[in-house]
Amino acid sequence: MKITLFCVALTVGAYVVSRFAARRYPSPLTTPVFFSTALIVALLLLVGVDSEEYRPAKDVLVFLLAPATVALAIPIYKNRGTLLTHLFPAMTGIVAGCLSTIVAAVLIGGWLEMDGMVVASLSVKSVTAPIAVELAALVHANPALAAVFVIVTGMVGAMLGPWLMNIAGIAHPLARGVALGTISHGQGTAQAVSEGELQGAIAGIAMGASAVLTSIGLPVTLWMLG
Amino acid sequence: MKEKDAMRQIAQIAVLIALAKAGSMLATLLHIPVPGSMLGMVLLFVLLCLRAVRLEWIEAGAALLLKHLAFFFVPIAVGLMGLGDVWRSSGLALLFILVASAAIGILIAGSVTHLLAVRQRIDFRRPSTTPADGIAP
Repeated sequence: MKITLFCVALTVGAYVVSRFAARRYPSPLTTPVFFSTALIVALLLLVGVDSEEYRPAKDVLVFLLAPATVALAIPIYKNRGTLLTHLFPAMTGIVAGCLSTIVAAVLIGGWLEMDGMVVASLSVKSVTAPIAVELAALVHANPALAAVFVIVTGMVGAMLGPWLMNIAGIAHPLARGVALGTISHGQGTAQAVSEGELQGAIAGIAMGASAVLTSIGLPVTLWMLG
Repeated sequence: MKEKDAMRQIAQIAVLIALAKAGSMLATLLHIPVPGSMLGMVLLFVLLCLRAVRLEWIEAGAALLLKHLAFFFVPIAVGLMGLGDVWRSSGLALLFILVASAAIGILIAGSVTHLLAVRQRIDFRRPSTTPADGIAP
């Protein structure tokens, strides 16, 4: 109980610090999820608390993730006019992003001589975690490994995505939201929400659409490949 | 006044929790492998469109949760700590694959949408300005 309280307080504290750091020193390294996680893991290792002891705190803290996801309907509703007129560019971007990230992961995985099971787990990495775990079973992947890839992909995309898009001159709010939501699901959407309401709205849609597309497309592709 | 606002936000978050629960019940009922929260999101969107739920009933609570959406992913990411052995064997290669494929996907999704959205805006302007031009002078 004491450890759980400590872990909850530590997580909230680290998050508060990370928000301050992100505002004061904006950079990929101060992205809230990455910065807070690094801080927490370092402190937990320092005081000798392992991930099993952290788990009860995690179960408490993620309770509001589901209602927060439901809340994404609001920016989508408020921006429905803009989203509807931009349906074609958004959907094309989502399909292109889904395809390119899966093909890239599978090709580089093969090139680095990764195990077939690892490559299969890589193929579901851009889908939101609960769907990725379900999908993993269908494509003969390891669900635990798939979940790890999903979380890391979320973190990497939220960290590097805005920075990469700044360099590439991808400035359209719709495009930034599409890219973050399609590739980095929930964490990317959280990052998009912090950029603006339209970015957040389309990222929420992109997260859902890429999950649906991958869920349908991946098993069909595997079936066609025999 | 401040206290009243907080109470209202809590009540509104309770509505969102109920919607999330309704979403997961719907997922179990329909036997579809979709997270309950996503179905809850669709459900809320439909209810808003039907005016069955008013924006002002949930907006303040929703804004609070969305502002801190990133927070809820922190404890999940901390869970990576317990999976040290996955990374010990081929962690660097895996990290390279994940970073490279995410970067490629983001750049392609972003640039495709950006180019199409910018072009669409120009196409849309033309027909809408022509009749206005005819009337104005």
